[in-house]
Amino acid sequence: MSELTVKSSPAWFKQSLRLLHHEFRRGELTIIFLAIVLAVGTVFSLTGFTEQIKQAIMSNSANTIAADRVFGANRKIPVEFLEKSEDLSLKLASKILIDSMVFAGDNMLLSELDAVSDSYPLRGKFMGKTSLSQTPVSIETIKRGTAWVEESVLARLDVKIGGTVEVGVLPLTIAGVITEIPDRSYRMFVAGPAIFLNIEDIADTDLIQPGSRVYYQYLFAGEQDNVETFEKWLKPQLNDTQNWYDAKSAQSRLSNVLDRSEKFLSLASMLGIVLAAVAVAVASRRYGQRHQPMVAVFKALGASKSHVQKLYMLHWGLLSLISICVGLVVGYLLMLVGVSAIENYLSLDESQLSFNPFFTAIITGVLCAVAFAIHPITELISTKPLDVIRGFSQNVLPKFGWHQLIPLLALFALLMLFSRDLMMSLSLLLGGILVSVILLFLGRLIMGAGRTAGSKAGKSWHLALANLKRRANENSVQLVSFTIAIQLLLLITVMKSSIIEEWQSQFPENTPNHYLLNITADEVQPLKAFAEELNIDNQGFYSIFLGRLSAINNEKTISIEDDSANNERDTADKDENKEEKPKGRKGAGRELSLTWQSQLPIENEIVEGKWWQEHDDTPQVSMESGMAERLEVKLGDKLTFTIGSDEFTVPVTSIRDVNWKSRQLNFIMIFNQTAIKNIESTSISAWMVPDEKKKQVYRFLSDYPTISIMDFGSIMKQLMNMIDQVSIAIELILVLVILAGSLVLVAQVQASMEERERELAILRTLGAKGSLLRNSVLFEFIALGGVAGLMASIAMEIAVYFLQTQVFEMTASFHFSYWLVGIGAGAAFVGIMGMLSCWRLLNLSSVTLIRRTM
Amino acid sequence: MVCLDMLLANDEEEVVVNVIKLKNIKIKMGCLFMKSDSEIILKISALTKSVQLEDKTLELLQPIDLTVNSGETLAIVGSSGSGKTTLLSILAGLDLPTSGEVYLKNHPLHQFNEEQRSQVRANHVGFIFQQFLLISSLTALENVMLPAELANLPDAKELGLALLEQVGLAERAEHYPSQLSGGEQQRVAIARAFITKPDVLFADEPTGNLDTKTGIHIADLLFELNEKLDTTLILVTHDPKLAMRCQRQVEMDSGVLQEKYTQTKSTNEFIADMKVG
Repeated sequence: MSELTVKSSPAWFKQSLRLLHHEFRRGELTIIFLAIVLAVGTVFSLTGFTEQIKQAIMSNSANTIAADRVFGANRKIPVEFLEKSEDLSLKLASKILIDSMVFAGDNMLLSELDAVSDSYPLRGKFMGKTSLSQTPVSIETIKRGTAWVEESVLARLDVKIGGTVEVGVLPLTIAGVITEIPDRSYRMFVAGPAIFLNIEDIADTDLIQPGSRVYYQYLFAGEQDNVETFEKWLKPQLNDTQNWYDAKSAQSRLSNVLDRSEKFLSLASMLGIVLAAVAVAVASRRYGQRHQPMVAVFKALGASKSHVQKLYMLHWGLLSLISICVGLVVGYLLMLVGVSAIENYLSLDESQLSFNPFFTAIITGVLCAVAFAIHPITELISTKPLDVIRGFSQNVLPKFGWHQLIPLLALFALLMLFSRDLMMSLSLLLGGILVSVILLFLGRLIMGAGRTAGSKAGKSWHLALANLKRRANENSVQLVSFTIAIQLLLLITVMKSSIIEEWQSQFPENTPNHYLLNITADEVQPLKAFAEELNIDNQGFYSIFLGRLSAINNEKTISIEDDSANNERDTADKDENKEEKPKGRKGAGRELSLTWQSQLPIENEIVEGKWWQEHDDTPQVSMESGMAERLEVKLGDKLTFTIGSDEFTVPVTSIRDVNWKSRQLNFIMIFNQTAIKNIESTSISAWMVPDEKKKQVYRFLSDYPTISIMDFGSIMKQLMNMIDQVSIAIELILVLVILAGSLVLVAQVQASMEERERELAILRTLGAKGSLLRNSVLFEFIALGGVAGLMASIAMEIAVYFLQTQVFEMTASFHFSYWLVGIGAGAAFVGIMGMLSCWRLLNLSSVTLIRRTM
Repeated sequence: MVCLDMLLANDEEEVVVNVIKLKNIKIKMGCLFMKSDSEIILKISALTKSVQLEDKTLELLQPIDLTVNSGETLAIVGSSGSGKTTLLSILAGLDLPTSGEVYLKNHPLHQFNEEQRSQVRANHVGFIFQQFLLISSLTALENVMLPAELANLPDAKELGLALLEQVGLAERAEHYPSQLSGGEQQRVAIARAFITKPDVLFADEPTGNLDTKTGIHIADLLFELNEKLDTTLILVTHDPKLAMRCQRQVEMDSGVLQEKYTQTKSTNEFIADMKVG
């Protein structure tokens, strides 16, 4: 502000700027400034971060399916569909997706093969480069005999452009590296990198066998009217294994998945925001109290109410503005940190930051600055000039009243703004109030008990616990915030390790760690012999074929849920089954992996009916109990299956419980051999390959390139990596939560500074030693942190119990060792933070202390 | 006109000189008496103040009548809880009486709302408090400038600097209150009180927070500036020596006001008292 402007401005303006300038310089506004910065920064970084991920996934939204519409299925498209599309002059591109091992010399890699027709893509850019230094160009067609690979393939197979990869039995020359895949978003969560080849080559790879896990995509594009006509004609004819989607529906599915994880993230970060808001509230109350004498003097000297009003509006407004601006910068930097952590997993280059994070963060800042400060500031402005004579009441405890409604409403608005979820916001707010009340009550009880215990302890402890009890009201708020922060930290740590432990316990020495898929009938014998020779534990070979449950008791099944575009491919693995629980009377909603067995597999238990005799030649099926329950199938019901063009009906003669947690091969439907003779299939096997035999096994299997290997050990490693990554993200949020909690603590300590000063002065006058005072302050905070740690441990244990039993379906366990961690960490952290905030005070000489307060 | 404390400063000098001074005092007092006849700056009549406690009414001030002339120095003395500070707050327009009338510069404060009283304070009143009550976030100069800015005086800064010069703190203009000693803080407060050349200056135990020596210096400064700027000074104190330096003393006792000291006291006694102070 130039001298000229200031000179010609009204007095309140000059005084306001002057105050702001001095107070900033003297650090009197630091806490409130940091509180707003933290709230704004947290919101900005998290909103921006999730948005960046979302955008990275959904960039080029029109092109995410490389067409206008896509038909996808585990089987080829019916010819009449193609004829109809031709009639409507729609352009067509085909794509076959297979997960398969590819080889280069001794190296192997699980990758996703994308076999595409020359017309691919119909929309969007398919870009690549033929040397690593080249600028990407459009890939027009993939020549037969060549492959285009994602860059990571080169490193992982140790090959160069121009080198050879073996796909199935077919060697392909690497023509170049892909830089942009137009329908990439669908490939977000696949295990391996993509290898593109010409669709004409796929037959030569020998990868497509009966029962293979293959996914066919047919891409359509054309005049909008024609596309819509086609869609209208085609949609009613789709069965539940056929998917039809446009970019929008694909996106909404993706965004649903994202929304869910975003909500999870936001729940934790909302706590951070709530704490930051509490810090703003505490700091603004302190701000109000600290400025009271100032306002009283101003008024006594003749300042009108409107003068004071304008002065503080400007003061507070500028303070908020500066804090919000700094908050935005801090948030942006935090976002960059988060983004750089996941850069390897997502390409974020094209993501543009929208206005949304700015908007949300600014609103957060304004809400915090206005709603949480409005009461203290209105009170401040109405300070009576007479107070200059009467004196000022510091540390008046906040009273409950209507004015608390505004911050609560603001908090609700903040939560809504951030989560856009009414139920979640409401339950968080109400739950938060409830939990806080319980914690307050518990905290009081513990502090009260501590007081009694303290009277028997040493002098410093006695004083510390007495102080703790006396300041119970202020301390309760800190207690709640620290309890929540510590609890979250413990929760993450405990859950992380218990999930990993649980997983590891599922892999005892002899459980299979490799699945072998796509084994043809001819290959079964040599594999069996090899396994025997190397003494590798296995669970035998299961024939596997894909089929649809098309009717129950001659009543056709309907697809309730269109799970289509998830690129779900069938597997006997339970995790995927779980994802698509349909609702109401329904069919399985997808193709099932079917098998036949003469013996009841291990980890299976008959709960109804009985297992067939080995030579029983009546067709029968045994059904998994969970699915039977969902589909309301009872013993004796007749199930009709469609496998390719075959259709047959069998009665349910037994219902089994299956231990899905074991990594055995598990099936929902098991037939006896009679039921499915003459149906072509491949086989699947589960092997326990010890590390030392891995190389031998892989070398042997490289002679059978069409067999897919799923290495569960490495998948688990990947999962653990993922958990680590997620934990880092959560820990990042927790750091913010702890920062906010610390800020609340510091703000509270600051608010109690005058009172502490007076007390210390009195104690000093009465002859208390410096060490006694220092220790009593230290012990007070240690006790506070310890109590918070204890309550956090209890809360953590309850939360872990629910998570383990309800969400993760694990066995509940208790973690007393973490209680010590919680209590210890709480005591240490709060103790240090408290001492740091009081350090200056404790180091004042007795004379200064007494002079300052008397 | 010769200042009162110049007399005090020269108290080591010969009797002859003192005689001359005494003459001067006479002259000055004569002026005051003449002035008091001409202008009443503060007038209260039948003023009471009571507060309602749970089950009874506490009478803080019994009906009080008081008139203060322009340029007069008045000390309100009395023990703690006698009601002197309550009276001061009402006189200064910080508080309202329960009944009765208060006129400050002919403004009926008892009829004014908070805002109107603020206006009167800004234009006519200065304050000095026992606790100094400087604004900790503002420098000494900015503290001094404050009332001038509130009264929209031009050149607040120049005025402020000049006053700081007069109280001997020109060097400390950019220091914050926390960097100043108690005596220095009170000097800043005095400068602040005089910057608008108020018609009435209210001082609430101005030396109450200071040691004896500093207290004397501060009192000297206060009376000197008061004299120089021809301000009416109303002083609340329980320090009889300080009270003695005023021309007039009234005593509060359980809410009852009594005239205690007037100019009827002999000049010799007056001077002797002053010397002790």
